[in-house]
Amino acid sequence: MNTLMRRLLHPLLLAGALALGTGAAQAHPHVWITTTSELVYAPDGSITGVRHAWTFDDMFSTYALQGIETKTKGVYSREELSSLAQTNVESLKEFAYFTFAKADGRKEKFQEPVDYFLEYKDASLTLHFTLPLKTPVKPRQLALEVFDPTYFIDFKLADKDPIKLVGAPAACEMKIQRPNDGTANAQKLGEQNFMGGDNSNYGAMFANKITVDCP
Amino acid sequence: MRSRPRFARALTISVAAAVVVLALDGVVHVLMAQTPFGGPRPSPAEPQVGGIVGWLLSKQSEFYREMSATIRAAKSDGSAVWTLLAISFAYGIFHAAGPGHGKAVISSYLVANQETARRGIVLSFASALMQSLVAVVIVGICALLLNATAKTMCGAEKVIEIASYGLIAAFGARLVWTKGGGFMRALQSSPPVPALALAGHPDHAGHGHDHDNHGHSHSHAHVAHPGHEHRHDDHGHDHDHVHDEHCGHSHGPAPSELAGPGGWRRGFGAIFAVGVRPCSGAILVLVFALAQGMFWAGIAATFVMGLGTAITVATIAVIAVSAKDLARRLSGASEGGGALIMRGVEFGAAGLVLLFGVGLLFGYIAAERVTCL
Repeated sequence: MNTLMRRLLHPLLLAGALALGTGAAQAHPHVWITTTSELVYAPDGSITGVRHAWTFDDMFSTYALQGIETKTKGVYSREELSSLAQTNVESLKEFAYFTFAKADGRKEKFQEPVDYFLEYKDASLTLHFTLPLKTPVKPRQLALEVFDPTYFIDFKLADKDPIKLVGAPAACEMKIQRPNDGTANAQKLGEQNFMGGDNSNYGAMFANKITVDCP
Repeated sequence: MRSRPRFARALTISVAAAVVVLALDGVVHVLMAQTPFGGPRPSPAEPQVGGIVGWLLSKQSEFYREMSATIRAAKSDGSAVWTLLAISFAYGIFHAAGPGHGKAVISSYLVANQETARRGIVLSFASALMQSLVAVVIVGICALLLNATAKTMCGAEKVIEIASYGLIAAFGARLVWTKGGGFMRALQSSPPVPALALAGHPDHAGHGHDHDNHGHSHSHAHVAHPGHEHRHDDHGHDHDHVHDEHCGHSHGPAPSELAGPGGWRRGFGAIFAVGVRPCSGAILVLVFALAQGMFWAGIAATFVMGLGTAITVATIAVIAVSAKDLARRLSGASEGGGALIMRGVEFGAAGLVLLFGVGLLFGYIAAERVTCL
């Protein structure tokens, strides 16, 4: 009975995994974040980290502010928001800060965020934080992507100046690829959906990719 | 051992069953995803992903994002409430069509349990109603009464989510046990004790049907082919055994005894396991509405959203049930083997419920996890 059970369940497990894989690809966002980021360079031209400013949509901002005590109703000072900012960056750790950097094709790791704080303006919260690279790098090409692989959060580069290079060598050239301009994305979705298998990177097709080439 | 070749057969059939059940769920997905919607794009602003999946995603996002503005507007303009309800309804419909394990679990359960389309509709609506209720209760208690922070609320949401996934897994395990018992008994001469224990269990939903099928194929075997053909040999043998042990024609509890008059209790496990997990979207809308002093509008929106979700889930559930009916009719044409295949399908569907539960519980379906920020 036991071996029979196992033999029966094995193909089911395989089949089920496939079914789950295809099912998982159909997530949708609940949170929208508009990003502006800065790439921070050291005087010697190496990249030391990324400074983010993420603005949440008003629904999530209101949700996040639930239960936060303030002196004046509707006005939130940086101090009053400090514990929430702390919570945010701690929670983000689990998701690798949704920030993925590659230096000449090699994955780079980030340290814990520093200089983080929240700002409340126009009914929206903006989370500021800096992610220092584990080790500063000086690559010919740096690729930076900001996205949620599960697409619970929709990341969008700000329309105006979504990325700035701070202290970069003059010869460096920056390119921005928004999810909207790629026709490759649709195809990628097709493949991911129907080939089953690994859909964990579903959000990648909505990725915002920034590349900086320094000759 | 005579039962050796049966093992091989069991294996083949279980694979076939898995494929059929996958097809049920998969057909819906694939149909939805592959419709060549790419030509005229609904809106030039949303060309992110091609196909109907992209369209669903962008529609959902649109409706969802309009909600906050509409709730704000409703503060001063009462008629905006109607807009809010319309948006919520549409969001509910699109929401359930895209992601979500609810429809998968309910459809699989229906297929496993030989439920009628009508019960599928009832289950879909009941679980959606419960989902809405849970969302309102969570926000009502956490935000309104306790003024808890988003972190606390999201934590509560996560706990409930895990509990829900655990329940689905447990529910699936029970289905597999029930269905596996019936399936196995059909394939091999099983010892009488476990068979009796299984059949005697009071609320095993599937049994009514199992025995139904038994009866059907049994009479076939007797009337049409008194044990001449190979295909029927297996079956006939199985039944002989059952007959010996049960002294005559007793097939265990009659279907009516198992279902109970209303039959409601049967599906309660499914309703509860699926419905206990609220939709993150509903929670966000409720908290937002509360902050705007429009909690009641948020509650109304949540229930209308649930109504929209229920309609989509019910549609998919009915498709699944109809597909199975069709499969039964087709396989029934090939006589004795048909019942066996159908029982295999049911077993496979039961297995899917278990897999969904386990997959969700252990994060294989990461997209359906609440993200707390």
